[in-house]
Amino acid sequence: MALKGIKVVEFAGLAPGPFAGLVLADNGATVVRIDKTSSSSSSDILCRNKRSLAIDSKKQSGVIVLKRLISSSDILIDPFRPGVMERLGLGPAVFLGKDGEVGLNGKLIYARIAGFPRTGSHKDMAGHDINYLALSGILSMLPGSHDRPTFPLNLLADFAGGGLICALGIMLALFERNSSGRGQVVNVDMVSGARYVSSFPLIHALNPSTGTFAGNRGDNLLDGGAPFYSIYSCKDGACMSVGCLEPQFFATFIEHFTKALPSDFKQQSGWVPHSSAQFDRDTWPRLKNFLELGFKTHTRDEWAAVFMNTDSCAVPILTPAEANKKEIPGQFAPLPHPRVLPMSNSDIALPIDDGTIELSPGKHTLEILRELGFTNDEYQKLIQDGAIEGSGLKSKL
Amino acid sequence: MALKGKKVIEFAGLAPAPFAGLVLSDNGASVIRVDRPSASTLDVLCRGKRSVAINSKVPSGRELLKRLIVSSDVLIDPFRPGVMERLGLGPDVFLGKSGLNQRLVYARIVGFPRTSSYKDMAGHDLNYLAMSGVLSMLPGPADKPNFPLNLLADFAGGGMHCVTKILLALLERNENNRGQIVDVDMVSGTRYVSASPLIHRSNPATGRFASKRGTNLLDGGAPFYNIYLCRDGGLMTLACIEPPFFEVFIEKFIQALPGHSVLSDEWRDFPALAAQADRKLWPRLKQFLTFGFASRARHEWTDIFFETDACCVPVLTPEEAAQRFGSSDDPVKDISRPCLLNPGQHTKEVLTAELSVTEDEYKSLLNDSAIGQC
Repeated sequence: MALKGIKVVEFAGLAPGPFAGLVLADNGATVVRIDKTSSSSSSDILCRNKRSLAIDSKKQSGVIVLKRLISSSDILIDPFRPGVMERLGLGPAVFLGKDGEVGLNGKLIYARIAGFPRTGSHKDMAGHDINYLALSGILSMLPGSHDRPTFPLNLLADFAGGGLICALGIMLALFERNSSGRGQVVNVDMVSGARYVSSFPLIHALNPSTGTFAGNRGDNLLDGGAPFYSIYSCKDGACMSVGCLEPQFFATFIEHFTKALPSDFKQQSGWVPHSSAQFDRDTWPRLKNFLELGFKTHTRDEWAAVFMNTDSCAVPILTPAEANKKEIPGQFAPLPHPRVLPMSNSDIALPIDDGTIELSPGKHTLEILRELGFTNDEYQKLIQDGAIEGSGLKSKL
Repeated sequence: MALKGKKVIEFAGLAPAPFAGLVLSDNGASVIRVDRPSASTLDVLCRGKRSVAINSKVPSGRELLKRLIVSSDVLIDPFRPGVMERLGLGPDVFLGKSGLNQRLVYARIVGFPRTSSYKDMAGHDLNYLAMSGVLSMLPGPADKPNFPLNLLADFAGGGMHCVTKILLALLERNENNRGQIVDVDMVSGTRYVSASPLIHRSNPATGRFASKRGTNLLDGGAPFYNIYLCRDGGLMTLACIEPPFFEVFIEKFIQALPGHSVLSDEWRDFPALAAQADRKLWPRLKQFLTFGFASRARHEWTDIFFETDACCVPVLTPEEAAQRFGSSDDPVKDISRPCLLNPGQHTKEVLTAELSVTEDEYKSLLNDSAIGQC
């Protein structure tokens, strides 16, 4: 696996940090999640193959443990607001050095994920995915009701523009480190990340002459404006997705669709769409109406069968349970993706997903302290200080 | 730049492949987009790339492509399964036992999983989103979800993923000096990016996505994680999930309501602060917030919550966002005009300078219609 042997320290945080850690873990890195000693449980479900060290970073002895761990690691993921790590005495300068002074780990890749840009007017404000999406400009373009957009959960800023972008940045830094021998700071903020992932619609929106996003929200080709790129509910209330953008696919779709309609429907309608009129916007309301009514004449699965093995670009909208079944029966979580395939038969052990969605804070504290070479005396002191806690701790290291 | 000196061949395709090429180009790689000579393309993700137009249906054109790929580090194949093989440019040719470029990272992007029953069907983002299970979870009207343009499958699950894996393959290559195939499909890619909601959905005990679509914490169910209309039609987002943040928000919000001291009976005794923790009060809380936000314009609310932990910021248009972030650091750079990369714009340059194609060879290729005129 590409990241075998790479050690990651992920400070526990919300969505983006854990997801970046997950991507790294899924590709062979060993990831230690740093939890607070005060947390008895963690709601982090992106904890597959990670270990947890629970430590009190406000105690000096706790900071010493963390410094030792980070000094022997390759990657650090910092999910806190600007300044937090510095105040703990764990800022980038400590490890990467500053002003000619050598740091504790010049090869460290120090990845920082913030919500709002780190040097902007919002840098000290709390926020969440929907806020970052709001400032990115992309939220205003998303389809919704007549007076406001809807937002796709917390996928665009937290995960696409946050965690995934962070993982990407880390990999670029690793790559650079291979030639330079040095680590670096990787700065991610989710407003910029969401913007980058959304380059395509944003660039089009700012250049109306391209025509792709020149209309009002909801009136464009890819935001529900076009009847042939949309969602239709069927007789049983479940839905079909239709995405036949290209003329030849649209023609195929119309052919199969109209053929499958009951004869009395066609009679009643008195009108059948013509593939040549696909891009004639004046006909869109009529086409939309036709499709809406037409889809209601069969169930979702009946329609799915009609379009199967054709180039109609019409497939059913699956529930998560149905989609899970398609991947691997019984597998809950989405598999790490993509897989890389060497041509040779080297061992590409897939990380076994035993469906772990819970990692108790501090579960591996003992194990990790041993790995770091702490003595029993040092260990006792940490317990005395209250730097470490937990029912999993033994009386001796 | 991390990828300086790396050569990428991107076969022209839709969304995911150009975006992957863009990210590589943005990080220093030299990216050549291979177009068909007859193509006219509006590809706005062409920043920093060059274009050669080569006719792969002609033998000399295919030979040319082979040469180009042999001298490259990364190939991006956006076609349906089998297309490249039929052109004599499949992975075996380069990575096989007597392969011509054993260090090549051969990245393939498809929509439906390569081994699924859908593998030979045409499709687009919306279809892949549909198969992923994620679309069914997205908020929208009662009878169907809304979809976020083509961002989730084409770009997040497609292009971004592809780049991540290309990088991993390059990292591995640094160790073992070998290339490999990188396979991406947008159904699986979308699922992976959406791991969190999907896992929660499969495990209702966590409570995060246990309820019906649109009634959960992060899909519009919670009044304090939502979008509100202001008096002037502008919009504010609210995301004060944590009780301390909600407290900050509600205090300033109530204070800012006009005629606060003479609120109508309807709202005067509403236990706004306590409402966050009580789901039964959420509908009322939503009404309260709707009523309140409508009393002021967007810029007023923006100012009220600026530099607080209320998690309440305005929804900006693309133009406003570009103004705010349109510096040289902005990832959406050069937005004043989309870059224009005409198919074949750099054919001659690339062939003569990099493949050492002679004048005679060049003429012959033109005659064959293997390449188009620049």
